[in-house]
Amino acid sequence: MIDFLIEIGHEEFPPSFLRRTADDLTYRLEEVLKRNRIFYRSVRTIYTSRRFGVIVLGLTRKQKPQVIEIQGPPKKIAFDEKNKPTEKLQGFMKTHDLKRTEIVVRKTKKGEYVCGRKEVAGGLTEDVLYEEIPRIIQSLEFPKTMRWNASGTRFPRPVRWIVALLDRRPIRFKYAGITADRYSMPNFHFSYKPIRLEKPREYMNFLRHGGVVVDPNERRKLILKRIKQAIGKVPGKPLYTDAMIDELNCMTEYPEAVTGEFDQKYLDLPEEVIVTVLKTQGDLIWLKPTNKFVCVFSAKKKALQNVKKGYTRVVEAKLYDAHFYYQNDLAQGLEKMNEQTKGMMWLKGLGSLYDKAFRMSKFVSVFPDGDQAALKKAALYCKADLLSQMVREKDFTSLQGIMGGHYAAVSLKDEKIAAAIKEHYLPNYVGDALPRTQEGAALSVADKLDNVIGAFLSGNRPSGSYDPLAVRRNGYGVVQVMAENGIHVSLFTMIERLLGLYGKKLEDGVMKDFFSERMTRYLADAGSRYDEIKAVLATWQGDIADARHRCQALAKFRDKTEFNKLVIGQKRVRNILKGSKETGAVQTGLLKSPAERKLYRTGTRALTQLEVLLKQKKYGEVLELLLSMREVIDTFFDDVMVMCDDAALRKNRLALVRYINDIFIQYADFSEIVIEGEKS
Amino acid sequence: MRKVLTFENIILNLKRFWQKKGCLLFEPYNSEVGAGTFNPATFIRVLDEKPWKVCYVEISKRPRDGRYGENPNRTQQYYQLQVILKPAPKDIQKMYLESLTSLGVKLNEHEVKFVEGDWEAPTLGAWGLGWEVWLDGLEVTQFTYFQQAGGVDLKVIPVEITYGLERIATAVQDVGSMFDLKWNNDLTWGDVYRQNEVEFSRYNFEESDPKLLTELFDQYEREATRAFKQGLVYPGYDYAIKCSNVFNLLDARGVISISERANMIGRVRSLANQAAQLYITSLPGSTEEKQEKND
Repeated sequence: MIDFLIEIGHEEFPPSFLRRTADDLTYRLEEVLKRNRIFYRSVRTIYTSRRFGVIVLGLTRKQKPQVIEIQGPPKKIAFDEKNKPTEKLQGFMKTHDLKRTEIVVRKTKKGEYVCGRKEVAGGLTEDVLYEEIPRIIQSLEFPKTMRWNASGTRFPRPVRWIVALLDRRPIRFKYAGITADRYSMPNFHFSYKPIRLEKPREYMNFLRHGGVVVDPNERRKLILKRIKQAIGKVPGKPLYTDAMIDELNCMTEYPEAVTGEFDQKYLDLPEEVIVTVLKTQGDLIWLKPTNKFVCVFSAKKKALQNVKKGYTRVVEAKLYDAHFYYQNDLAQGLEKMNEQTKGMMWLKGLGSLYDKAFRMSKFVSVFPDGDQAALKKAALYCKADLLSQMVREKDFTSLQGIMGGHYAAVSLKDEKIAAAIKEHYLPNYVGDALPRTQEGAALSVADKLDNVIGAFLSGNRPSGSYDPLAVRRNGYGVVQVMAENGIHVSLFTMIERLLGLYGKKLEDGVMKDFFSERMTRYLADAGSRYDEIKAVLATWQGDIADARHRCQALAKFRDKTEFNKLVIGQKRVRNILKGSKETGAVQTGLLKSPAERKLYRTGTRALTQLEVLLKQKKYGEVLELLLSMREVIDTFFDDVMVMCDDAALRKNRLALVRYINDIFIQYADFSEIVIEGEKS
Repeated sequence: MRKVLTFENIILNLKRFWQKKGCLLFEPYNSEVGAGTFNPATFIRVLDEKPWKVCYVEISKRPRDGRYGENPNRTQQYYQLQVILKPAPKDIQKMYLESLTSLGVKLNEHEVKFVEGDWEAPTLGAWGLGWEVWLDGLEVTQFTYFQQAGGVDLKVIPVEITYGLERIATAVQDVGSMFDLKWNNDLTWGDVYRQNEVEFSRYNFEESDPKLLTELFDQYEREATRAFKQGLVYPGYDYAIKCSNVFNLLDARGVISISERANMIGRVRSLANQAAQLYITSLPGSTEEKQEKND
């Protein structure tokens, strides 16, 4: 049994994909070992800001031997009448260096063939690794790469050393102009002297002495322990997330922590401002509600006092700026900022930011719920903070809306307006929180829809990877907020209203196509299958929240065998109706057979019930109702010939089929549902 | 009181340090620039494949950042020390850390943190990957491996190290405000520059003439284009730089809208790209010829 260590040493790696990269290396290495029949006892992934790699313990020294079979000629031409090898077989044996004892006969679909069967001894693990490791490294994928030397290699940051140690022997492959060896590097705060490793088992310990905790799990625990130690008896609740600790873990080699404090007067600032300052200043952890914070750093303990002083100074300077902007903004007031939005162009040819806000304030009357006066005013003022000193500062642009909310609370003295403004950018990204108030949700939809239409009107339509104004994200946001905040207004009504306010037109169908794609994406993300989405969207009238409910109800029914039969029935209906243009009403006098009459009666009854259930949005019951018609429909198709010779009867039967179909498509076009085993 | 390393000595130490590493000691450019990257000693020289090592101080003018001399850490004008090493040496990070040591920063008593920073200069069509270097939490340097300049993929990758001199000096001298930096033993940074800050802040934000500046932008752009047509890289690029500065002034005056801003940045970038293209095509011997020779 031997051990293996691979460590790729690099300049500081982007923290957002370090862990993924290290895991990927481990995964690929394990794959290669398995594929090459090399066994091992355990693997451990390591990474810090300046290195990532894998430690494999208990490897076999050689590959497991393998029996291989090489197919040769058919049996009938391989042997002559005396069962002696023919020239053909002898040639095959010569080519593959096979002995007579290694020839066997195998039955295949095409008849009997001879095969060369031999045992191949396993190669050295060392040789396999020498070949495979550079390939593995090369196969790693990254979101963004760079070049740095004449090798032209692309990697997220320059690779500066590689350790590849198989027990006591370095595997000296070449990558990125570097020859792998047995030398690692310590934490540069500790030393710049290379660390010579005799064998992989020394690695963790030796590196620890060099100021590097290589095991990410151990280091993460250490970070949390250090934070706790630093806090000591300071009151307040440390405000951090797992994501923050993960990021710190990717930015450190040897975590230490210390507390700092800022002037009490900055506690007057909105919480979001304090959190933003501390976050952008290196994931500092606020001890809310005190004026203290914890700084996790990666250097020698001796640096503690300098680090404390340095970070405190930087935080103070940032808070000083923020405080300065905040005071100025409050002194100026939201009213004046809003006035200034008149001078700020929004999109070329579409007027100013004020024009946008004004348009939105007219538009929001489309929403039936919530406090209409507050909503209208929130719309009018929602872009004012873009002209505030705070939001114009690049460190605080992420506080757009949030600052507007604070300023609105002070200037307009209305909590509803403040909340709506504060929430109207939500969700900022996939997975972000949604607005919580009705007014906030309405304003969020209004803003995003206005962004989409504005982009289309100003020549900024998305195409391929080109989407500079994030139109798709905005469109998705419209769908998500409408669906999840339960806003039952037709999208098409909204679009029409908004275009009216712009006084402009878009080509027919362009918005419908755009939003169909966003709807499909959203509903799929919410767990619906594509055929369910297609079925619902085929007859969709524009209520987004409603479409979601219909999809959800559909999903619950689709596993029932009854449902499948229903779908098959609908497919038949669709096929029958495909060629017909008949639109007349059903003539009850022409309903000859009992099956026809029964179907019509069932349909009429169902229609009355359906209207009530649809209005109440009881979609489970709607589906039950439709399902209950299944038998009657089947009997109809079994007993009645729709395309009969009698023209009047045919016409009436087609009208009946259409009548029934019209009932079904009030819910969805069930013929879009894919039945298992069916070719679509 | 302990003897501090003065501002001027910090500059001298860094220059000496990089001189010993083989850098040519250059001087600032003779026109207003937003960063040392604009200096042809960087922008033009990184384009070709010849080795180039240079170190110089540049005055960085950022009109928008003026605070009337009232913010302790922000001004509309400050100093950068710019280092370009092409090709980037493999022990460059170690070299950089040693340069901090040359300023009395002991690595075992401080935290030096390399914080991911994708650098981009949109007016120069340039980008690279690297870091902001934080010294005990304070950003003191930008460390970048250039990948592209003037829209051209660089064949030989240079490393750019840009020290914010006032920043690093406040850390070295352990003061809270750049105005309190000891320039020499008698005068502070504030003694030298405070009035300058007050006046330029007022000019940049309140007094500059947007109409004149807009005209200048157009004229400089035309002259740059005309020079490029005559095959003149440096004079044309000189006007591109002037455009960039005029744009910065207009931006500070708050008279350009978001979309107009993008448009003007695009116009400056186009000039920078033309300069880069022209420089490359006018190099003695095309790339193809050279390759044949090497073969």
